[in-house]
Amino acid sequence: MSALLASNLYKSYASGKLRIDVLRGLSIAVEAGRLTLIEGPSGCGKSTLLSILSGLQRPDAGSVTALGQDLWRGDNDAVDRFRLQHTGFVFQGFNLFSALSALEQVMLPLGYMGMTRAEAIDRSQAALVEVGLGDRIDSRPAELSGGEKQRVAIARALAKRPQLLFADEPTSALDAASGQVVIDILRRVAHEHDTTVLCVSHDPRLVSHADRVLGMEDGVILNDRKMQSVSGPEKDGNVS
Amino acid sequence: MIIPLARKILIHDWRRFLPAMFAVALSGVLLLMQTALVFGILGATAVYMRESNAQVWVGYPGTQTIELGRPIPVTAQTALLADPGVARVEPFAWFNGDWQGPPRAGGVSVFVSGVSTEPNALMFSRVLTPAQRALLDQPFTILVDRAELAKLGLPIGGRALLNGRLVKLVGVASGISAFGGVNVVASLATARALDGSSGGAEVEYYVAELKHGANAAAVAARVNREARGYSAWTAASFARNAVLYWMFQTAAGVSAIFLAAVVFVVGAVITSQTLMGAITGSINEYATLHALGVGLRPLRRVVLEQSAWIGACGLVIGVVISLGLLGLAQAQGVPADINLAVWLMCAALVMGIALVSGTAAVRVLRKADPASLLR
Ligand SMILES: Nc1ncnc2c1ncn2[C@@H]1O[C@H](COP(=O)(O)OP(=O)(O)OP(=O)(O)O)[C@@H](O)[C@H]1O
Ligand SMILES: [Mg+2]
Repeated sequence: MSALLASNLYKSYASGKLRIDVLRGLSIAVEAGRLTLIEGPSGCGKSTLLSILSGLQRPDAGSVTALGQDLWRGDNDAVDRFRLQHTGFVFQGFNLFSALSALEQVMLPLGYMGMTRAEAIDRSQAALVEVGLGDRIDSRPAELSGGEKQRVAIARALAKRPQLLFADEPTSALDAASGQVVIDILRRVAHEHDTTVLCVSHDPRLVSHADRVLGMEDGVILNDRKMQSVSGPEKDGNVS
Repeated sequence: MIIPLARKILIHDWRRFLPAMFAVALSGVLLLMQTALVFGILGATAVYMRESNAQVWVGYPGTQTIELGRPIPVTAQTALLADPGVARVEPFAWFNGDWQGPPRAGGVSVFVSGVSTEPNALMFSRVLTPAQRALLDQPFTILVDRAELAKLGLPIGGRALLNGRLVKLVGVASGISAFGGVNVVASLATARALDGSSGGAEVEYYVAELKHGANAAAVAARVNREARGYSAWTAASFARNAVLYWMFQTAAGVSAIFLAAVVFVVGAVITSQTLMGAITGSINEYATLHALGVGLRPLRRVVLEQSAWIGACGLVIGVVISLGLLGLAQAQGVPADINLAVWLMCAALVMGIALVSGTAAVRVLRKADPASLLR
């Protein structure tokens, strides 16, 4: 059973007098416990697809079933609630509040989930340790490198313990080493927490670490490759 | 909320919010000072009530301010004395005089107050010494406020024509200047002799000192029950009526309200622009929170909380500046009159400015579209 199931998605944008059909009847199924990657040329609609699958943007037509729930059936408040409960995001930008320490950035969404302070601190510390920032919990964004900031952003998404984790070009703003750290984290999250990780990227290293790569072009999925991962042998049994 | 986001941002980016705090503070200061000055200037109309030791006043029914007084029947005095709360009653004559001073001094509008010359008299008891009153025992003698000497062009000991009769200026006091003219204080006997219009015994007002523990409002209400051709007020309400009457008679009130509206709008515009700038600067962070499932309502609350803090900080700054300015006004002898109600009103307006700004700035949050983070 797929964690994320979309069928017949349509989405177009009006750009002046022009209408751009970005998604044309796209269907996709994404399994839990894997790192699934979408790649494709610029402008082919990858980010648009991700925003529809993750509950950020309503499709013109078609349906998304996320964790067995018809995602776009309810109103926006219902979709907000679904995201609060179940989804995490990692964007290309880090989008951290300059006023907050790493720990506070991670705790912030947990507070809105109704968690107690003690619980939020525990979870946030654990998430920061998981991304290798256990010793930087008091640092503000101004004191962190780009890679460290992205790891805080990942920790912010992970601390929610989401079943669904979406990432749009998470490594494109990072150098090779930081990119590798982020890739490892995403992979580990998928395999160890049984999280559905859906990632959009051009990064060839990410491609080689994914469990499955979907090739997208012109608003449809063209090819679907199940990968035999080169790293993380202990979890390779999960794939295929 | 386990992370007080609004406050954290405010403290971290205080430099960015400082202009808004000062805008709010200065709006408050402007509102407060103009109200204090208007009340201070118009407060001169209540000098008769304020500087006298009488708690109840009786005058012609419907009289809004001392200048509009008319002679009342002498039965008013007996009615007052009959009240169990009244200790003693004193007549007070008031009329508009026709002043002819030394040539070249120009025309002056004078108000004549006829007061008792008893050492413990009620009228102007706070500003006239028994010795000054005694000077008025001589017929056709007058006192004026020290500040009016120049206006009258008359030295102490000088003479002028008042209602066609020669009067002699025998001294000066301070704290009896009137609003819109010169207060001339004379004895009741002199006043009666000068006032051509009144038919002898009648005066415009009776003022009463109450027995210890008597309630002025209750006495006034009791007197009013039986009153014919006169009416009783507490000194405080008569004073308030006078200030309010002049406030709206002279358009001082209307212009004060107009200026207040301008100040309110300017303060709100500056504050909301600051808040909008702050939100726009963090729009991607807000959008990320929204993506993570935080609804727009809690995000709006963050902005409103920030505006409330800006209001509170502005209030503190404003109070400090206002106290300084009021002290300065007092030191310079500028009439400024302030009371708790005015403080509270200005505080409410300041918080209003802040919250209206916050409400306006909240709109910017609509730009926090998480889909825009995916491109
Ligand atoms: N809000 C919008 N309004 C109008 N057109 C849009 C909007 N968002 C995206 N588009 C258009 O839709 C198309 C697909 O955009 P999308 O962001 O999904 O591409 P992408 O595959 O993520 O590209 P890239 O790899 O460059 O990020 C593009 O042609 C883009 O110009
Ligand atoms: Mg994209």
